[in-house]
Amino acid sequence: MKNISLGQFYPGSSIIHRLDPRMKLILALVYIVCSFLARNVISFGVLLLSSFVLIILSNIPMSLILRSVRPILFILAFTVIINIFWTSGETLLFEWKFIHIYLEGVMNAVFMVVRIFVLIVGTSLLLTYTTTPIALTDAIEQLFAPLKKIKVPVHEFAMMMTIALRFIPTLIDETDKIMSAQKARGADFTNGSLVKRAKALIPILIPLFVSAFRRADELATAMECRCYHGGEGRTRMNILHYSVKDFIWLFLVVAFAAGLVVINNIGIGYTM
Amino acid sequence: MAEIKLENISYVYSEGTPFEISALEDINLTIKSGIVMGIIGHTGSGKSTLVQMLNGLVKPASGRVLLDGKDIWENPKEIGKVRFKVGLVMQYPEYQLFEETVRADIAFGPKNMGLDDEEIEERVLEAADFVGLERDFLEKSPFDLSGGQKRRVAIAGIIAMRPEVLVLDEPAAGLDPSGRETIMRSIMNYKKRTGATIVIVSHSMEDMAKYCDELAVLSDGKLLMTGDKKDVFKRSDELVSVGLDIPQITTMMKLLADGGVNVNTAVYTVDDALAEIYKLL
Repeated sequence: MKNISLGQFYPGSSIIHRLDPRMKLILALVYIVCSFLARNVISFGVLLLSSFVLIILSNIPMSLILRSVRPILFILAFTVIINIFWTSGETLLFEWKFIHIYLEGVMNAVFMVVRIFVLIVGTSLLLTYTTTPIALTDAIEQLFAPLKKIKVPVHEFAMMMTIALRFIPTLIDETDKIMSAQKARGADFTNGSLVKRAKALIPILIPLFVSAFRRADELATAMECRCYHGGEGRTRMNILHYSVKDFIWLFLVVAFAAGLVVINNIGIGYTM
Repeated sequence: MAEIKLENISYVYSEGTPFEISALEDINLTIKSGIVMGIIGHTGSGKSTLVQMLNGLVKPASGRVLLDGKDIWENPKEIGKVRFKVGLVMQYPEYQLFEETVRADIAFGPKNMGLDDEEIEERVLEAADFVGLERDFLEKSPFDLSGGQKRRVAIAGIIAMRPEVLVLDEPAAGLDPSGRETIMRSIMNYKKRTGATIVIVSHSMEDMAKYCDELAVLSDGKLLMTGDKKDVFKRSDELVSVGLDIPQITTMMKLLADGGVNVNTAVYTVDDALAEIYKLL
């Protein structure tokens, strides 16, 4: 359990790490749009290239990136199969009994794989790998601040998120300790029937809930002792500042999106 | 009854990530049968990891843990049996209580051992006696007890397994002086009656001086020194240099000696100091 790292944040000080988290959130959105703009071979090629540029800039080891792609391998395989076998087009490549494979199907499959890969890499690089969960919550709070005007409790939501994130490692730690303690008393979580294993969780869950409630109670008291009364008039310790480089990045990514649209109009090969 | 030997033990946390920490490095330690061994060290020196290796909760990255000469990891499927022989009371054990009654909670360990009801009942009563819990406590909910009482219930839960080695990680942490005294006395009571080997991790040099036979000092994951408590406390300068202390009473006797009073400074408990001072009169 000790190996679970929260939100996959990978410490570093690359160009991407140092961007303003709010800008990273916006950039991630634009980048997602980009991945849906690409329509032909060249634009998909450029898109794939851009994600490799991001990987290099962020200084995150390739093995880690591939690990984040691993959980969606099944979805990727599924997409490939659906696209190859169920797309009909004009250029027949292969025919056997009821199976017809068209060039268009193969192209679609490749495009979809690139699109999903870029989506995952782009969002995880720009957000989860290079931004601490706390910075991300801060960014969300400030970006949604205008909603306060229509009485959406933005600050309260952000505070709940921060606290939840803050306590995930604590609870994991606690679970670990309780599991060890019950194992020391001979509890067995790995053997036996499903019912038996479910029952074996009771000695973990009850102490865990008891301590979670106790912690919540203590935290509420501690916050009240320090005069916490919601977001009104509250100043922050870390004030986020946009700098010139944030806007340069925004410009680059928007220009990239525009570039993709232009490339799409070059009539080369198959267009999706 | 049971001797534990650690051979070249090493352990690393979060191996292969940027958060890698070496917790233990090349530890060699023998805990002789029937003694009270104290393990002292600064916070983060690896004490808790070390004691969790004694009953196989943590598997060493390298090295062997020998229980009566047999490697406990020889057959990983049998590690459960080791845990019944080497009972471990973790830090703040009161947070592990979960049953509806104290009786059921103490019975959890013996039940996992697969004993019959009669034997379980006998052990529960015996364990409750060891830690000084009255019979009418047995029907109460563990969540209604005070901190010190909860701690005693948790320790009874381990004692009920009748371990040959009883390992306790900070058994008296966070209790008031009379609570500490009760806990330590229960442990010594168990030792006296069963002849079990006891391993105690503690920050209190006074408790260590009073109850332990031998001491092992850990610093930054390395074994700094080990041996008879007198020999360990003699090297007070080294202890102080790694952020530890010697018993307050020893410090006082040293001050007396420095001030020209002819007393023996190799005194570690208040009783011995009293005897030493009476000699002067």
